[in-house]
Amino acid sequence: MAKVQKCSCGNDEEGLIERLEEIITSFKEKPGALIPVLQATQSLFGYIPQEAILKISEILNEPLSKVYGVITFYSFFSLKPRGKYLIRVCLGTACYVQGANEVLTALKQQLSLEIGETSPDKLFTLDVGRCFGACGLAPIIMVNDDVHQWVKPSDVKKILGTYKKQKGVNQGEVK
Amino acid sequence: MQININNKSYPAHEGETVLDVARKNGIYIPTLCYHAKTGQSAKCRACIVSVEGMRGFQTSCNLKVKDGMSVLTETKEVKDSQRMVVDLMLSSGHHNCLACERSGTCELQDACYHLGVEKTSFSDHPTGIKDESSEFIVIDYDKCIKCGRCVAGCNHSVVNEVLGFGFRGLETTIMCDDDIPMGDSTCVQCGECVQLCPTGALTDKKSRGKGRFAELKKVDTTCPYCGVGCQLTLHVDHEKNKVVRVTGREVWPNNGMLCVKGRYGFEFHASPKRLQYPLIKRNGKHERASWDEALDFIAERIKASVGEHGPDVFSALGSGRITNENNYAIQKFTRAVIKTNNIDHCARTCHAPTVAGLAHAFGSGAATNSIDEILETELIFVIGSNMTEAHPVVSYYVKRAAQNGAKLIVCDPRRVDIAHWSDLYVQLRVGTDVPFLNGLMNEILKNGWQDEEFMKNNTENPEEIKNWLKDFTIEQASEISGVPVETMKQVAKMLGEAKKVSILYTLGITEHICGTDNVKTLANLQMILGHLGKRGCGVNPLRGQNNVQGACDMGALPNVFHNYQSATNEKAIEKMEKDWGVSGLSRKEGYKLPTMLHKATTGGTKILFCVGDNTVQTEPNTAKTIKEIEALDFLVVVDIFPNMTTEYADVILPDVCFNEDEGTYSNLDRRVQFLRKAVDAPGEARPTWWIMQELGKRFDVDLKFTSANAAWEDMRRTGTIMGGITYDRIQHIGLQWPCPTVQHPGTPILHLNGKFTRGKGLFSQTNYRHQAELPDAEYPFILSTGRRLWHYHTATQTRNSIGLENIFPEELLEISPFDAKIMNVKTGDMVKATSRRGTITLKAWVTDRSPAGVTWCAFHFHEAHANILTNDAYDDVTETPEYKACAIQIEKVSDGIAVVERGFRQARP
Ligand code: SF4
Ligand code: SF4
Ligand code: SF4
Ligand code: FES
Ligand code: FES
Repeated sequence: MAKVQKCSCGNDEEGLIERLEEIITSFKEKPGALIPVLQATQSLFGYIPQEAILKISEILNEPLSKVYGVITFYSFFSLKPRGKYLIRVCLGTACYVQGANEVLTALKQQLSLEIGETSPDKLFTLDVGRCFGACGLAPIIMVNDDVHQWVKPSDVKKILGTYKKQKGVNQGEVK
Repeated sequence: MQININNKSYPAHEGETVLDVARKNGIYIPTLCYHAKTGQSAKCRACIVSVEGMRGFQTSCNLKVKDGMSVLTETKEVKDSQRMVVDLMLSSGHHNCLACERSGTCELQDACYHLGVEKTSFSDHPTGIKDESSEFIVIDYDKCIKCGRCVAGCNHSVVNEVLGFGFRGLETTIMCDDDIPMGDSTCVQCGECVQLCPTGALTDKKSRGKGRFAELKKVDTTCPYCGVGCQLTLHVDHEKNKVVRVTGREVWPNNGMLCVKGRYGFEFHASPKRLQYPLIKRNGKHERASWDEALDFIAERIKASVGEHGPDVFSALGSGRITNENNYAIQKFTRAVIKTNNIDHCARTCHAPTVAGLAHAFGSGAATNSIDEILETELIFVIGSNMTEAHPVVSYYVKRAAQNGAKLIVCDPRRVDIAHWSDLYVQLRVGTDVPFLNGLMNEILKNGWQDEEFMKNNTENPEEIKNWLKDFTIEQASEISGVPVETMKQVAKMLGEAKKVSILYTLGITEHICGTDNVKTLANLQMILGHLGKRGCGVNPLRGQNNVQGACDMGALPNVFHNYQSATNEKAIEKMEKDWGVSGLSRKEGYKLPTMLHKATTGGTKILFCVGDNTVQTEPNTAKTIKEIEALDFLVVVDIFPNMTTEYADVILPDVCFNEDEGTYSNLDRRVQFLRKAVDAPGEARPTWWIMQELGKRFDVDLKFTSANAAWEDMRRTGTIMGGITYDRIQHIGLQWPCPTVQHPGTPILHLNGKFTRGKGLFSQTNYRHQAELPDAEYPFILSTGRRLWHYHTATQTRNSIGLENIFPEELLEISPFDAKIMNVKTGDMVKATSRRGTITLKAWVTDRSPAGVTWCAFHFHEAHANILTNDAYDDVTETPEYKACAIQIEKVSDGIAVVERGFRQARP
């Protein structure tokens, strides 16, 4: 079993797991508890650690494969720790045609990250998606809930810069 | 109603689908995701047809027929669309039939064949990803078409809940647990997913390259392992005289499902270790002899001994593992030739209390209802049964019923795996079943939840039991059993309010010094609740071995002839004397198995003729058993493998195994099922009926056993409850006794409408008696014993089949986390377990299956088996040993390699 990683903010996850157990137990008797419990887990840890998956399966008495199936079905849930900012590059057809791949390459270079990875300072996670449903603005990247439209590779530096700037204020903050 | 398919009219019935009607009439429509067992998922769209008056195409697998409906399956448009579906499916993976195990039975290949698709017109996407981590199953992801049949089967048919779909879109994939290798997952290798997979994505690892389906001969038969009696098909390579694959037959009782033993434990028949020739012990060594030599020698020794000391120095053991015919043969020989009733078998060590207890209460000592009725009940009350391991296929039904909304209560000192699926798990102390159940009944009566009508009309002594139970307060029961009062009240309420309750129990009830009382108490409970003689109810013992029901039915018991005709009743004796053409049958009841052995040391037993029993390893207190066996003058063992008992034999005779002769087994719901010959027996191995016939001749008696069928017919002539069962009638599906005439359809439910076999039901007054050997300061732990999923009996079959031993290679002592912590023992450490009778050294398995103070291990491995420790204390009525409770001490010997346990895993660490 993968060892649960220690959180950089010093908030130890042992405590969090205990809190999670309470949350799961409070949902136990309710039908359809799985998704709300996973949401709670995601916001508690910022991702869904393996130990939590085992706990959820055990306490809710749901097959592991069902829990894992739901987690991997919804992109909202993440199995790896995520950075403060989740950057998602649309690789849908419209965006692709408009040069999304070049934008992605620029992001990879500037962040030194591959798809799915998180920067060591836990600031950025790089990911891709398929059609965000706003093809008229292609190519698109999303940083958390912010939409950046008609992005060119040369815009990347500036976009990243605005988020890095906020870092000073929020550094180390864990929701 | 009528529907039109391709402009021809066909009869159809309400509720049928277009696909059903087409198939019935030989019209091929390609299907991939549909399977009769997993139902309609309408996922793949391979089965589309066009229907007059409906727009677009319809999936025929879930399209219900309507009168006058007009369907086209062969138009160019339909075919083109079907072709596109199949084409896309081919392109989404990588399908190369040349070396595929499924070739010839693959439904994708069939579709391609019928649609004329030679290869995909797109490019395909080989990834080369295979999962070969499990012992018996290969997952080839490139051949998976994501039809979902395996996922549905694993979750809703066998309900092992391992497989699921993960990820989404193009990445969607089947996965085990949280996408870990199958070999590390909770998979129990039942192979249901393999059987359901339409393609070569899931295949049997061991059969790879050993023959494609079409080349192998298929022989339908019955599983040689547990008492469920699953129906299976052996796929046989005739030239090599070997079974190379096993599949489940989709008929009752198992509907295609099997467990790991039934599906993958088949090579033992071809093991080079099989006994092949008669052996006679000369100067301490077993030497090969001819049949004539061996049989002459045996006859001579029997004649000498019986001549001098009388017939009762001879004892014989039949077996719950051999056929009905062979059990009948040995009982007839013992009674008709030797003229003693000293015949018994291993039901003595398991369900003799069931036979005695239920016969006492109801008049018949067998399961009252059938396996399939589990799906119709409201509340399943499981007590003393580790069914996911000992009776896996029954557990599938129980889990499915629970999934469909039936309530499930599991009572057991150990948190057995089935508890995982229960609504309520009740942990009671070892051996406290009687007070626990009496307390429940007290509460039921107090609240008026009993079935007053049933008690009044259908039982003999209702007022008596009501008075008796008044003293057993729930508080007192709680104190003895350790079950909180609140929990007991909850159980009583659930029992009292359910309209249908089915009780399932196994050896946790019977293998106690109060085994018969335990059974009687369960019978009391169901009579109070009135849950007898109706569908989905009853008292249902899960019989352990493949034919332990049959061995009882065949009269391999010291008190009855076949079909439970009393061996001490003058009329029955005369009937048998007349039919068998002999005189002077014994008038007195014979010895039970333990008595046969005890008497060896005092000279009362001189000869033991033992068929398929392995007495040394299966009786409690091995050291004592060995002394008794050694004290015999003469020991004959008939078996298929050398074992701990053959070592002591003066003569060893090689027997045939389940697929080397015809015959019948009777399963746990009284179903007599057929066995077919699939391969030739090794060397000079011979069936037991032949051995008895040849021995009989040496006593100038013709027992008339010219074949298995002849033995069956010989039994049937004087049979009562089985008189109507012939080989012809059970070729396809077995028949449940009572079946007295050849017109009789068999009896799924005993005591219908509360009309008990004995007339009225009889309540018994039972009282608490604690286990014979209580833990104390010196021996502080209770040891309980049983069976593991991966092995069977003394493991001669399972350890001589490939793979089972890799999954579970050695016995483990299950210890609770609480005790382990105190003793500083981890899973994998070596420990020494000692009782007053012996010591074994084995690895520990720290698991919360065990409650504090209770340990557990099985008797499968001769290197370290439970019976070295178990106590030779017996149920006073039936002499069934108390395997479920003795006292031991534990000492840590050395550290092992730390094992990482990962959440809940079934049947192993
Ligand atoms: S072998 Fe049985 S338990 Fe294992 S994945 Fe297949 S169906 Fe499920
Ligand atoms: S493995 Fe077989 S049964 Fe399972 S989804 Fe794939 S093709 Fe269907
Ligand atoms: S459940 Fe019993 S009868 Fe069925 S396959 Fe397994 S061992 Fe054989
Ligand atoms: S393709 Fe990017 S938004 Fe639609
Ligand atoms: S078989 Fe009908 S949709 Fe798959």
